Order: sequence, then structure tokens, then C-alpha cells
Amino acid sequence: MDKQPYILIVDDDPDILDNIVTVLETQPYRLATAQDGKKCMEMLKQDVPDLLILDLLMPRMDGWGVIREMRSEPRFARVPIMVLSTVIEDASRRRYELETGMAMDVQEYIQKPIAPTELIRRVEKMLQVTNHA
Amino acid sequence: MLEATSLSTSILADRLGRSEVFGDLCQADLLAIAEFGHEETFDEGQVLLVEGEPAEKLFVIERGRVALDKKVQLGRHSTPRSATIDYIIPGKIAGFSALVYPHIYSTSAVCVEPTRAIVLDGVALRRYMEQHPAAGFKILATLGSLVSNRYRQATNTLTYFLSVVSHELRSPLAAIENYQQVLLEGFAGELTSKQERMIKRCLLRVTDLRGQIGDVVDLARMRPEQIQMDFTWWNLSVVGTEAIDDVRLAAAEKDIHIRVDPPPAFEPVVGAPRRMRQVFTNLLHNAIRYSPRGSTIIFRAWYEPDAMVVEVEDEGPGIPPEDLPHIFKEFFRASNIEGEPGMGLGLSIAKKIIDAHDGQILVRNLEDVDGKTGTCFTVIIPKNLKTPEMHRQLWMEAEGNG
Repeated sequence: MDKQPYILIVDDDPDILDNIVTVLETQPYRLATAQDGKKCMEMLKQDVPDLLILDLLMPRMDGWGVIREMRSEPRFARVPIMVLSTVIEDASRRRYELETGMAMDVQEYIQKPIAPTELIRRVEKMLQVTNHA
Repeated sequence: MLEATSLSTSILADRLGRSEVFGDLCQADLLAIAEFGHEETFDEGQVLLVEGEPAEKLFVIERGRVALDKKVQLGRHSTPRSATIDYIIPGKIAGFSALVYPHIYSTSAVCVEPTRAIVLDGVALRRYMEQHPAAGFKILATLGSLVSNRYRQATNTLTYFLSVVSHELRSPLAAIENYQQVLLEGFAGELTSKQERMIKRCLLRVTDLRGQIGDVVDLARMRPEQIQMDFTWWNLSVVGTEAIDDVRLAAAEKDIHIRVDPPPAFEPVVGAPRRMRQVFTNLLHNAIRYSPRGSTIIFRAWYEPDAMVVEVEDEGPGIPPEDLPHIFKEFFRASNIEGEPGMGLGLSIAKKIIDAHDGQILVRNLEDVDGKTGTCFTVIIPKNLKTPEMHRQLWMEAEGNG
């Protein structure tokens, strides 16, 4: 039997989490949520997701911190990341480059909010790419 | 109630010497300047000076606290409000405009506590500074750093304000917008047609609001260098389609048809694609806002030998000729569009973006043929722009040759 893709969704805004879960639970995925970067890192260590949906501005540890830690750890280096944030993409990439000296290695960048059907489409596409890789 | 007290010149001179502007002066200068002043006390709420009026007095605050207020007016017809930009505490001065051309107060100053101040006659002080250049220079040097500090503080406040506005206000809106989309697309159960209509309206208004917040933030931080840093190769076929997508809902709402007249073939050009999308979205939104229901908007583009030209044409009422020269100014709204929502930022943002592209944005009213009116905005982007990478290459080549 096919294993359901596992998606970890990280956002400090419970309403955004509610929205994303409401939309994605209509699809054959296994979902989990976290509300800050530290919790996200803990959950990653327990179970490596097939896709990480990640907010950037969060308490305790922000999304840039999560990306930096993940990309320096071989176990998580290949986990596809979809950034979902109110922060503008250019500004965000520039900040990451300034802080780390490296390009921000994320597979998808979406500025909030995203229409439900569009979210489903993009998640599906990212999971397909991972499966074929 | 004003109350002037007469103090001996030497005491006044002594007190002036403790203030930020006159601290560096010698006793002789202080005594001379004290001759132009007297001490006054002011009640809470009393106005010391009024923005825009001739600056004739300088106030050296000795006790209490004074708010510097600036008039803020959004649009020509709204009620002006005042915003406090700084507080003056003892030892500091209010009304430095009295010493600086054009001698018009740049802010108002209102006592927020019972206040005591030395009031100096600005005209006499100016004359003294002219006749005693050494003292004049010291005063102006202190004044320079004071103005520069005030400017820095204003910039910091603005930057902080913008970051708060952009994140703290946009986040809740994103959540609201998201819930509405989830409801609208049926993920939380079926809606009655009335519910659907209302949620669609909510979504439209919230999207507008988010756009307006974005506009305010953008306008304040949009500098040409920042825009040029994002220069890359882009294609109008992609960016134009995105812009049309951005306004699809708003157009459908007014039953407006957007007709696209594309060039025979698209060519890539250099520019900031996200910003250009903003230009086209703003122009299209503008056209939709002022177009009659059921009308057509034309989005056309072509290439000249050295430029790309894009036009957005509507069938709206046109812009009154007297308003045309002001249309790209911040917070300007034409006089014949009373009652339409918006803050009048879209076009000035578009102009800033196009200016950063060394391009042109033009507007003209269409010839009135058979009672048909309309407005046409033309955007011209030169083809010879360079990406930061291309600039770097050029420098390296120049270095190599030099």
C-alpha cells in the first residue's frame, strides 16, 4: 500500500494553520503542525517530512533559522521547503544571503495569502517532483 | 495665560549658556543674545508656534515639555490631522526655523505640560549672527547637528513604523483573506448564493485593504537603488498575465472586459519584474475603478527599436485637464472621482518604479468621439537597462582593460 506523504506545516498564526489544514486534509496526506521554529526542528528529528510548509516571522526561532539549520544537516538537506509568508520574496532572500552568505535553498516561495486550490496544486506538484527525484 | 517675567540679562545669559544651541558661546555673546530675549511661562495646551507661519521667535525650553506637531492631510478634501513627531524637553529648542531660510515654521509646537521658556527675537538674533560670524557659525553648527538628529530620528521612526505596518497589519489580513477563500471554495461546506456574494465582497474589500497597506509601505521605502538591485531579464507575456490575474476578480465584479493586444512576438527586457507587475496591476486597477460597468479596458504592448511600450486604455470619464499635471503626485486624487475608494498612491508608486527604470509614464485623455471618453496610460521602458550582474561584468572588463 502506498504510504501517504507526510507534510509538516509551521506557522505561528493558529488561523493560518487552521486554514492550511482545512484545505490539505481534503487530500490524501498525513499532516502535522508546529507554531515556532524550535518545535519544528524537534518534530523534524522525530519524523522527516516529505514537504515542509514554513512561515518566516515566528517566535523562538524564525523560518530563516530553520532553513539554515536544515540545509546544514545532511538528514534534512533535501527536504523540500515551501515558504509561505507575508514577507516579500526579494527582501527575504536578501536577508538570508546577508546572514548566511548563501543563497536561500527553498523550492517554492509563496506570499500569503494563497487561494486553496492553488495551494493544493503547488503542494501536489512539489510532492511529485520529490517522488520522481 | 502668558506671563512675562523680567530677569536680569546676566541670569538670562547664564540660562542660555546651559541650552543645547548656545552652550558653546562665550559670555560676551551670551550677554548680547540675552538682550533679545525674555522669559515666559505657558499653560498646558498653549501653542508656541504654528506650522507654515513666519518664524520670528526661537524658544529655549527651560521647564515642561513641548510637542512638535506636523499637519498630515491625506488627499485634498480630507480633514487635516496633526501628528506629533517629537517632544522638546528642557535645554532643547523649538522654532529653529527662525534662524534658517525661508523663516517659516516647519512644525507647530504645543505645550503638553506647564512650560517655561526663554523667547528670543529671531530677527534680532539673525542680525547678531551676521555681525558676529564666529558666534553665528557655532550656533549654525549646533543647529546643523540638531536638524540632522531630528531627521535621523524621523527616518528611524518611519522605518520602524513601516516594518510594524507591513507585518503586523498584513498578517491578520492574510488570515482573514485565507478564511474567506477557504469558505468561498467550499472547503467548509456549501454556501447559499447570498452568503457567497457577501463573502466575495468581503474578500474584495480585504484584498483592497491589503493592497493599500502595501502601497503605503512601498511608497515610503521605494528608492531607485532598491528597485535596480532586483533588475533581471523578464518577459511581458508572464508579468502581464500575472497583472491581469491580479485584477480579474475586481474586473468581473464590474463586468469589465480586459482586451489584450499583444505584440506579434514577446522579447525579454531587463527590469524589476515584481515591480513592473505592480505598475501594470496599479494601472489596471485604476482603469477598473474609474470605468463604467460593462466597459472594455485595453491592455496593449509593442516594441520600438529601443524601448518596450505598454498601454492601458479605459472608457472612463477621463481626467480633468487641470488635474493632469498632478496625477502622479503622492496622495493626489482627481477632483471628479469623489466617492471612489483609494488613497491615490497607485499612480505615484507606478511613476517611482518607472523612474527607476529610466522610463516614462504618460497619461492622456482620449479624443471625445461620439460622446465616448477615456484615458490612456503609456509606459515606456528602455531596452538598454542592465542587471547588476551585467554592471559587474562591465566593471571587470573596464578594470581588465585599465
